[in-house]
Amino acid sequence: MTPPKLALHHARQLGTLAGLLLLVTVLAILSPHFLTPGNLLTVLEQTAINAIIAVGMTFVIISAGIDLAVGSVLALAGIVLGLLLQAGVPVPVALLLTVGAGGLCGSVNGLLVTLGRLPPFIATLGMMSMARGAALLLTQGRPISGFDSGFRTLATGQWLHLPAPTLIMLGVYAAAHFLLTRTRFGLYTYAMGGNEQATHLAGINVPFHKTAIYMLSGCTSAVAAIVLTARLNSAQPIAGIAYELDAIAATVIGGTSLMGGQGTLVGTLIGALIMGVLKNGLNLLGVSSFLQQIIIGGVIIAAVLFDTLVKQRRS
Amino acid sequence: MNPITAPPPYVGAYSRPRFRPESEAPGLESLARHPGWGLVGLALLLGLVTVGCDRAGAPASAESSRTRVALVMKTLNSPFFLDMKRGAEEAARELGVELVAQAPERELDVEKQMQIVENLIQTRVDALCLTPSGSKELVPVVGKANRAGIPVLIVDTRLDEATVQADGVRYVSFIGSDNYEGGKLAGQHVASLFPQPAQIAILEGIPGHETHDSRIRGFRDGLAGSPHLKIVASQPANAERDQGFNVMQNLLQAHRDIAAVFASNDLMALGALEAVSAAGRAGTIKILGFDATDEAREAIAAGRLEASVAQNPTAMGRLAVTKAVEALRGGTLPKSIPVSIELITNPRGQ
Repeated sequence: MTPPKLALHHARQLGTLAGLLLLVTVLAILSPHFLTPGNLLTVLEQTAINAIIAVGMTFVIISAGIDLAVGSVLALAGIVLGLLLQAGVPVPVALLLTVGAGGLCGSVNGLLVTLGRLPPFIATLGMMSMARGAALLLTQGRPISGFDSGFRTLATGQWLHLPAPTLIMLGVYAAAHFLLTRTRFGLYTYAMGGNEQATHLAGINVPFHKTAIYMLSGCTSAVAAIVLTARLNSAQPIAGIAYELDAIAATVIGGTSLMGGQGTLVGTLIGALIMGVLKNGLNLLGVSSFLQQIIIGGVIIAAVLFDTLVKQRRS
Repeated sequence: MNPITAPPPYVGAYSRPRFRPESEAPGLESLARHPGWGLVGLALLLGLVTVGCDRAGAPASAESSRTRVALVMKTLNSPFFLDMKRGAEEAARELGVELVAQAPERELDVEKQMQIVENLIQTRVDALCLTPSGSKELVPVVGKANRAGIPVLIVDTRLDEATVQADGVRYVSFIGSDNYEGGKLAGQHVASLFPQPAQIAILEGIPGHETHDSRIRGFRDGLAGSPHLKIVASQPANAERDQGFNVMQNLLQAHRDIAAVFASNDLMALGALEAVSAAGRAGTIKILGFDATDEAREAIAAGRLEASVAQNPTAMGRLAVTKAVEALRGGTLPKSIPVSIELITNPRGQ
């Protein structure tokens, strides 16, 4: 049950890792503030939200789909969480219901893609707008703020010096990595992305598994919403705008092919770290936010461009 | 249910290259040919570009022993914050301190602003001037600055006092003008323009944000003494120019007799101005903005825009840096430092 092209996955991951290490080296030389324990922990904390969203995105993209709704689903899940906590629902129950709400949005995406036969781009574009609207409608546009300190330990807590968002991120990656590499569900995810018709002919229930993949993406967005809400001590209906782009970027920098059938979560995690390190480093160096956008865009394009070029050369 | 309707040529599909097992091991040779190295090269290149820009732009090395004052704004896509930055730069030059001015790309991006502050704390700036993009949301990160021993000055937008109390967070001073008073000035001006019954519309900023909310509250209170003036619509346009245009277009469809519009910033007011012109009704509707940006001042001088509330962001930026340095040198500052506010109108038009 190993995913296809295992060796290539490793090579690609090592390449991405080398990219990350070099970026770290360059920034360590440029800024004396970069390679300090405090700053590295800050990067890990800041990367958590994007990295968690990118887990669901990786599953979706490996299955040859796309999920543009993650940012809006994050906002809606955050609002659901905020309303539940405000209503005095116990934290564990509120967290479960929040993940459920995210999963529900994701399932709708999945059903639209499978039963409705909509292109994923369109289905999730629609959900992107609907979830955002629902978040704004539920709150009349106003953020929900002020939660008790117990809930906020999800952002402020520490264990072995690691900030809570980082721990949550690592937990999500461990579970998702197991799911993707050690279960039938993971194998089917690769299979559907590689060749949907063949997967179907092999007797696998494609609509069911595909819907589950979009549901998973909704769930990871909701987990990210939990972290973000705890971090800001506020649930914002306008949170997560353009987060889908960061998640897609982390995924493709990590070597997942937009054509489907290939990709790993380790790669995605490194991709998310590259994005996080780059943003942090550019901040430390005082680079203007305008130039930062150009540099980040350049990195995304370059990562995918090199993949494409190498594939061409191999074939 | 079967998702596949027309069976494609499966045989061909099976032999697609990406399903062929890859025997190649990740040896050194394969790595050397690998895309990851492209990333590496790119990272290096970008690093060099970055340094080039950084060093060329700021002759003083970032690591000098000079006092470093950070100014974190809501965004730099708006003339208001560019003016604030300019004022801060002037003050920094005169005082011989180094200014680090940063902002997220989008005004709504609370989390990104939080990240910028966290990163600046890591560079151990000596003082932090912050224009919070969320009155409650930025309180936790101000707490982080407190723990790092960095004095914080709040500029332009107030922090939510209840949250500040609840979190036990401290800041040295608030430097800014009273948005409520500014809105009230605009409201009173509209009241003076229309002795007869008239319909008024409001373009709101970002819902739930203190700055815009207090401007709107002030405006409504400014109209309070004139019951013949009716607010027929109050719609959010997210403080953006294109939204101001679109929302105004929609309002014109719904309410043909609008006589005046108050927008809680100039970008929305200028957007609304274009929408009114596009509808062929230029000059028939009085539009008031807030911030008195250069472009708004020009439009006022040309008689196209009725008025705008001037907040003087340049003075805010200047005061922020000056007061931060004062605080660092052991001075005690008042909890609130007011910046003057006035209504800019076209005297010839009156």
